[in-house]
Amino acid sequence: MSFVEFRFLWFFLVVFIVYWTMRNNTARKVWLLLCSYSFYAAWNWKFTFLVLGSTTADYIVGLMLGRCESPAWRRFWIATSVCVNLGVLVFFKYFNFFVSSASEFLAWLGLPTSTSTLNLILPVGISFYTFHSMSYTIDVYRGRQRPVSNFVDLSLFVSFFPPLVAGPIVRAVYFLPQLVSVRKFSNVDVRGAVMLFLAGFIKKACIADGVAPTVDRYFAHPADFTPTSAWIGVLFYAIQIYCDFSGYTDMAIAAARLLGYQLPNNFQFPYFARNVSDFWRRWHISLSSWLRDYLYIPLGGNRGSRGFAYRNVMITMLLGGLWHGAAWTFVIWGALHGFALLIHREWIRLTDGFKWAIRAMRWLAWPITIYAVCVAWVFFRAHDLGSAGTILKQFVLFRGGGNEHFHRWLLLLVAALALIHWLNSRRWFAESWRQWPAPAFAAAYGCTFAVVLLFVPPHYTPFIYFQF
Amino acid sequence: MTNSVIGVTAFLITCIGLRAILPFPEIDGGVSQKFRFFSAHKDEFDTLFIGSSRVYFQISPEIFDRVTRENGLPTRSFNFGIGGMYLPETAYLLEQILNLKPRNLRWVFIEYDEMQTKWSPENQTSRRALYWADWKRVSLLLRKLTDAGTDPLWRPAPAKLRDIVLRQNDEKNTRSLLTFYATQFEKKYTNVARAADVLNYFVGRDTNDRRASYLGAASDGYVTRPNRMSPDKAAAYERGLAAAMAQAGTRALSPYAVEGYRQCAEEVRNIGARPIFLITPSTTQINAATESTGLPGIVMAFNNPRAYPNLYRSSVRRDEQHLTKSGSEEFTRIVAANFVDLARAGQIK
Repeated sequence: MSFVEFRFLWFFLVVFIVYWTMRNNTARKVWLLLCSYSFYAAWNWKFTFLVLGSTTADYIVGLMLGRCESPAWRRFWIATSVCVNLGVLVFFKYFNFFVSSASEFLAWLGLPTSTSTLNLILPVGISFYTFHSMSYTIDVYRGRQRPVSNFVDLSLFVSFFPPLVAGPIVRAVYFLPQLVSVRKFSNVDVRGAVMLFLAGFIKKACIADGVAPTVDRYFAHPADFTPTSAWIGVLFYAIQIYCDFSGYTDMAIAAARLLGYQLPNNFQFPYFARNVSDFWRRWHISLSSWLRDYLYIPLGGNRGSRGFAYRNVMITMLLGGLWHGAAWTFVIWGALHGFALLIHREWIRLTDGFKWAIRAMRWLAWPITIYAVCVAWVFFRAHDLGSAGTILKQFVLFRGGGNEHFHRWLLLLVAALALIHWLNSRRWFAESWRQWPAPAFAAAYGCTFAVVLLFVPPHYTPFIYFQF
Repeated sequence: MTNSVIGVTAFLITCIGLRAILPFPEIDGGVSQKFRFFSAHKDEFDTLFIGSSRVYFQISPEIFDRVTRENGLPTRSFNFGIGGMYLPETAYLLEQILNLKPRNLRWVFIEYDEMQTKWSPENQTSRRALYWADWKRVSLLLRKLTDAGTDPLWRPAPAKLRDIVLRQNDEKNTRSLLTFYATQFEKKYTNVARAADVLNYFVGRDTNDRRASYLGAASDGYVTRPNRMSPDKAAAYERGLAAAMAQAGTRALSPYAVEGYRQCAEEVRNIGARPIFLITPSTTQINAATESTGLPGIVMAFNNPRAYPNLYRSSVRRDEQHLTKSGSEEFTRIVAANFVDLARAGQIK
């Protein structure tokens, strides 16, 4: 069940009405927990046991960490939690990748191989809820979060349906305190939430799904297209992935807000970043901050020598790439971002005190950043390394390709969407609607939604981040 | 609460308003081209053929009209066959055609086949799978999927419901189909994806060549498909034909298909025309029941290879379902001759 499907509307309506009809906080949480598991079961009920198992393991680890004083035992329990969570993740997501990669490597060395992969189904959202769950035990271990004795609270935190399958990645310290007090409907910013939902819906259902056929067509056979069409294909993909993912996030945040809960922001106009470091402060913020706090800093962060810090950056970005998917294209995507971060750091260091460099970068920073990000997206989307090479030849060198082409006016569409996005970042579509009388707002909202549906493609395209 | 009601009301009114002003949807496969052409020339035709590719590529209005004219019963016919169109899509499209109020329409040939509940995954994503999904059609499909009967009161079979919920026996995909059709219904009434129709109107994608490819050389809706079967395919066809002929018994239409055709027949009669149900010559139709069908109209059946051996020879067939150009011309002549006979006998006057 996806947020842009009609059945989600009916599902959420029932959840919303029953939730706010209940007075008791525990009853509400149990209701939300049941709904969250039903939401997940709509995809595959068997994997609800995986969510439950992961939650149970971390619940026990949390309690044990609360009771143990000995550092050795505490290390044992946190290692158990990390092993269980990462073990599940690695098994379902990376088992086949590691086995086939090892087999290919051995074959490349000329050694005899005999491998068998398992026909595994990747549970939807496993990367997200695993990280939710791990943040709890790690924070308990670090003393930032008190162990939760109420199993329902922890279960609801792990399985809360709005961010369950595609984020944002919610941390225990952020969400669990919200479960303590009774939510009041009078505190809910309904107008803001429904507008955010509409914005997310437009991004996903109209824009991302609208450009998806062009993207799919190009990336299926990149060698058939001209370099100009390669630019259209890659730029469209940049639009698609942003609108798809940030659209989901907007709808998730809006749905949670309507139930009285806050989720962290995940995007802050990433395509207006002026360097790659800035890009990662604006793109998938919940993941980049999670990796920073639970991986990069424990690895040593910026402490120690420059080489040591750079090593930490590369490890973090490579694992960040691998988190997205079990394929070498994702690893290279992470590596490219890692290199870009290192280059940026070196640039800052080397040009420190040179005013001309700062002046030059005022104009060049944005185009260089967006170009680098798009080059990296090629690896993110390409079916394999061979296709990625073909696309880069067209996109970077303006060479190769066939005769098939898209209409050039599609580039105008890219420009138009970029302009709207820029105006939005400048708050041109500021919240004037907040001043409207409630009935006028409601009527305008209903009319707008009806008009928006005209632009939704007939078929639903799954969220890109569902596969992660 | 009041504001929610205002919002929902505004949404519904806007949906209804948009529906009223939007043109007939742009649907691939020739649906829009044929509909537009028929709208512009609706009063020129007195005979209409509607159905799947077995009508589209096999009934030549030119030949049909020639035969009827030579036999003293002149007609002017139009082929509204569309590739892959079955009940309930046929019923929806026929309703839209009849809503145009073609003044001179006297005979409507409707292809007879079972109601299709399954769509291939690739076709599920098209607008073709959406434009016909009004309540009349969707409710019939939901009834068939749940075995709920055709009475006004829905009474789904408990055993069927159990199998659907548990995804067991033959009902592994029924839940998905129920969701799919319910969603199509919602999309249809909320005008999902209809902006494309307006865009197409301005962009003018419908070129003369494209129109001609669907309407045919004579602009009568008939397009020829001349290719014959390869020897291997012909041998496989002969084996399939023999197997189909060896099967005993007949296959009756489901009550849901009968209900769908009953609705069609009623609408045809309401504008003063006569419905004629047509069973085309194909191996999958050989066992279709031709008597006691429950259909409210004449059934013209060509599904007996013994009665019509010339239509089943591998030399006149493209595949199990379709005839070659010469086979189609022969089939059209037989249909026309049967039609004239029925008319002379006073059965379809």
